Amino acid sequence: MDVEQASDANLVVAVGRWHEPALAEVYRRHGGAVHALARRILRSDAPAEEVTQEVFLDLWRNPEKFDAQRGTLRSFLLARTHGKSVDVVRAEESRRRREERTTRETATAAYDIDREVWDMAVAEQVKDALVALPDELRQPIELAYFGGHTYKEVATMLDEPEGTVKSRIRSGLGRLRVNLIERGIEPAGAGL
Amino acid sequence: MTATPAPLTHAEIEELLGAYALDAVEPGTAAVIDAHLEGCIRCAVEVAQHHEVAGLLANSGGQPPTALWDGIARQLGGTSDESWDRLAARLDQPGAPMEPVRTPDAAADPAPAPVVPIDAARRRSGRVAAGAGLAACAAAVLALVLGLQVHHLHGQVSALQGGRQLSAAERAALASPDTRKVPLAGTTAAGTAATPATVVLTSAGTGFLVDDGTDGFQALPADRTYQLWGVVGDRTISLGLLGPHPGIAPFSVAGSAPVTEFAVTDEAAGGVVASANRPVAVGVVRA
Repeated sequence: MDVEQASDANLVVAVGRWHEPALAEVYRRHGGAVHALARRILRSDAPAEEVTQEVFLDLWRNPEKFDAQRGTLRSFLLARTHGKSVDVVRAEESRRRREERTTRETATAAYDIDREVWDMAVAEQVKDALVALPDELRQPIELAYFGGHTYKEVATMLDEPEGTVKSRIRSGLGRLRVNLIERGIEPAGAGL
Repeated sequence: MTATPAPLTHAEIEELLGAYALDAVEPGTAAVIDAHLEGCIRCAVEVAQHHEVAGLLANSGGQPPTALWDGIARQLGGTSDESWDRLAARLDQPGAPMEPVRTPDAAADPAPAPVVPIDAARRRSGRVAAGAGLAACAAAVLALVLGLQVHHLHGQVSALQGGRQLSAAERAALASPDTRKVPLAGTTAAGTAATPATVVLTSAGTGFLVDDGTDGFQALPADRTYQLWGVVGDRTISLGLLGPHPGIAPFSVAGSAPVTEFAVTDEAAGGVVASANRPVAVGVVRA
């Protein structure tokens, strides 16, 4: 098997058959994005490296959890990365440290997406699509996704009702998807 | 301490899907949504779409740290904990060691199809799970389509009841990268979600259904039989009778267009050419 020519889905099949070069190729393709997201959320090298390792070891142990019909391998890996990173952030010690910070100003200032997405081919369009969102839709998404906050915490930070925030996260993601499609980026994912 | 989350309605869960996709709900609520997604394809699709959008936001890319790979590579050995392995092991011939077999095609391992109630009380209630086409047609008459090269294997199937083990050919099929497996989702007598059987499909158009033993189909009286159906295009065809105690049941759809969905119904012994019964289990074949 020529792993460099294989599709992501075929690489996962090969991973399922204990083919280490296939996992190495998955890491070569997506390890940078996984590590960067973990590093961004955790803001520390050591835990970000641990999360990155866990994500790829999980794929090695449980490749059947990836369903190619439900989305791309990269989004699958990034979703796992996000979940693990948030778990770390929400651990008690991290929570204590975070609670010492002031909330709204510090958080929003730290989660400036503009500087972070430039090195991808779609970075410009993604940024435009995000900027095109009204603030009240963009802020909850940024705070929840990059800050690792629950929607209830976001509601407190933004001084908005919890129900409003959860609705805005959902509708914001929907609007963002539309914005991306309008800019020629078709996010994968199973259609209805 | 974690409080037990209150039950959530479908509408309440829908409102939470965005936050859930960003890991921004409490663990208890996430568990409730996890369970909901097992039986609700519509919500599962929405979550998948949110993940794709979030993934684009996170795409800062760059080179992965080389040293990190070394740490990963050191931990790769000796890991095997697959449900598919366990299924294969349960069916394996005594004394015949089997190489680890994992999901041969990740794309063929979909999330469970919508759950179709099978107990009488639910039948009377008229509730039909939303989702894939088979569930949507649960109340519809299943039409037999002649002319397709479908081989009814009633006689063979009957001979295979009662603890039959996988044949060498079936074991080889399981190990082939071209083989696909389609979990059939249903409910137990207690009303809980279950995967009573798995359909295994080979690239040659043959396949076999494997009942899942303890969580498999309930045994039927002698005057009843399970019947397997497949959706080909916009038509539903009979793929054969499985008997009252399905174990391992082969079937063939060689020469026909691809089967996209499978269903199993509970029928009078001898089967029917068209069924008005709701499926007791359904599964969608992923492209």
